[in-house]
Amino acid sequence: MSAAPPSGKSSLALWQSLARKSFGYWLIFPTLAVILGLDLYPTIQGILTSFTNQSLIDPGHAVYIGLDNYSKLLKDPVFQVALVHSLELTFLAVVLQVLLGLIMAHLLIQNVPGIHFFRSVAMITWVLPIIASVVMFRFITLPNYGFINILLKDLGLGRLARNWFGDEKWAFPLVLIMHLWRNVPFYAIAFMAAMQAIPADLYEAARIDGAGDWRQFWSITLPNLRYIILVMVVLHVTFTFNNFDFVFLSTGGGPVNATDVLPTYIYKQAWNGYALGYASAGGVIMLVILVVLVLVCNKFIKGLSEQ
Amino acid sequence: MRRPFPIRRIVIYCGLSIFYLFLLLPIAWLILSSFRNSDSVQSGRLLPAWSELTLQNYLATFQIGNFTTYVVNSCVIAFSVMLLTVFLGSLGAYSLSRFALRGKKIFMMAALLPQFFPYVLILIPFYVLMSNLNLVDTHVGLILTHTSLTLPFALWMLTGYFNAIPMELDQAALIDGCSRLGVLFRILYPVALPGLVVAGFFSFVVSWGDYLFVSILSQSNETQTLPIGLQTFMTSLRVQWGLITAGTVVAIVPTVIFFSIVQRRLVSGLTAGAVK
Repeated sequence: MSAAPPSGKSSLALWQSLARKSFGYWLIFPTLAVILGLDLYPTIQGILTSFTNQSLIDPGHAVYIGLDNYSKLLKDPVFQVALVHSLELTFLAVVLQVLLGLIMAHLLIQNVPGIHFFRSVAMITWVLPIIASVVMFRFITLPNYGFINILLKDLGLGRLARNWFGDEKWAFPLVLIMHLWRNVPFYAIAFMAAMQAIPADLYEAARIDGAGDWRQFWSITLPNLRYIILVMVVLHVTFTFNNFDFVFLSTGGGPVNATDVLPTYIYKQAWNGYALGYASAGGVIMLVILVVLVLVCNKFIKGLSEQ
Repeated sequence: MRRPFPIRRIVIYCGLSIFYLFLLLPIAWLILSSFRNSDSVQSGRLLPAWSELTLQNYLATFQIGNFTTYVVNSCVIAFSVMLLTVFLGSLGAYSLSRFALRGKKIFMMAALLPQFFPYVLILIPFYVLMSNLNLVDTHVGLILTHTSLTLPFALWMLTGYFNAIPMELDQAALIDGCSRLGVLFRILYPVALPGLVVAGFFSFVVSWGDYLFVSILSQSNETQTLPIGLQTFMTSLRVQWGLITAGTVVAIVPTVIFFSIVQRRLVSGLTAGAVK
């Protein structure tokens, strides 16, 4: 690609060109070593572990047991609950994030005084450690002196006050709300950047043709955002489906499995239940579901970019 | 873009207020509470009196057992991960962007795939691997672990940035006698600085916030980081929310400062990795 023009001096030039060729490999070698050694190898090892009865107590002595872990898992009612929760959470979070992200992007793109402040602070929620977000939400929903309950009492709605995270009905919506809180601004800013790239004369022409705001949004904005929407969807299907921290740190999966998702279920099986092989099988099922979801989304993206 | 009419403007501000109330309220309540004394926090009033404001929570937080160690560990690990990711990632991206490699597409795919692997699955063999290497409960082990999480994305993002820099720049430098590593450090680094900063910020945020890997690979106070510390606070200090909130504010300050520096570049950087 960038190879300098070959010089006339033969043996020196040959050595130089060899060194030049291998130089590129040396540059990428450390990165590949880290990725292959610490990401790919453990994943393959994890798939192999899922066919064994490996235990945390004596990891060295594992026996191949075929598909036993898988058949046990699929019959486990808690696993089924966690699987349903994971799919529900991922679906609801991503759909709501796209909708709210579009609305917020539409607000952020308006040319009103002070809008730069709103744009610049938007992504703050995304960069905070998840443990900090969890502390904030736990603290704001505390039964006795959390902001929400104090406000409800001050408004005379004290009977609505409750221990939000300890309430079986409210724990799952709260986990969903924490995901929205963290991610909606990221969508909004990404969508806003894509909206700003749409040529203004498209809107001008539409206005001359008498198209209203809604019409312009449906026929110009949305079609131009299809690609970034799908990118964000693929990213966040992965993030949300794999997310362990929000649920584990806020509710630990409780009350009574009301918020258990696959990552927390698998984590508890491995590190509290010592069942490494069994937990790995759960992880492999997650991997398969994710690959299917991502392939479906990827197909959409390919179809769109060919248009 | 045309200036909106006043009524329209009011609607826009109302919409923005709803979003930002939701986004900023939990942060504001946390920060406010971290400066209230414990009677004030438990008073059941929204706003404290002036006399109830205090720095006591912060002073007390740093007195608790290992809080200072957590802060130091978090800093050491997150900064090392940041530097290592940017350094290795830029070497790899330089290679992918400027050199004719066999199997370049396979390298790119191999680097992208781990983004989709469930961390809870990776963690199991990871623990066995790390204990075989005697890296459990060491800073080096955690730095390597976090780097393996951040490097794939950094590699993709930086390759995108380097590809956008005209090749003529390196060629001119090579003709002037610059070495090939010199091209990276003297020509590409300055031009791609925004990309390097975003990649560094991303790595910092991932490492600083990681709970999952640290919870397994760190087994003593020697290596535990702030997320573990705060989780321990939450379960062991139960009613002392003044201390918990102060500790949490300490944990978010570095990310907020770093964020305010990079925020203008952040989104283009993050989505560049995804789009290219």
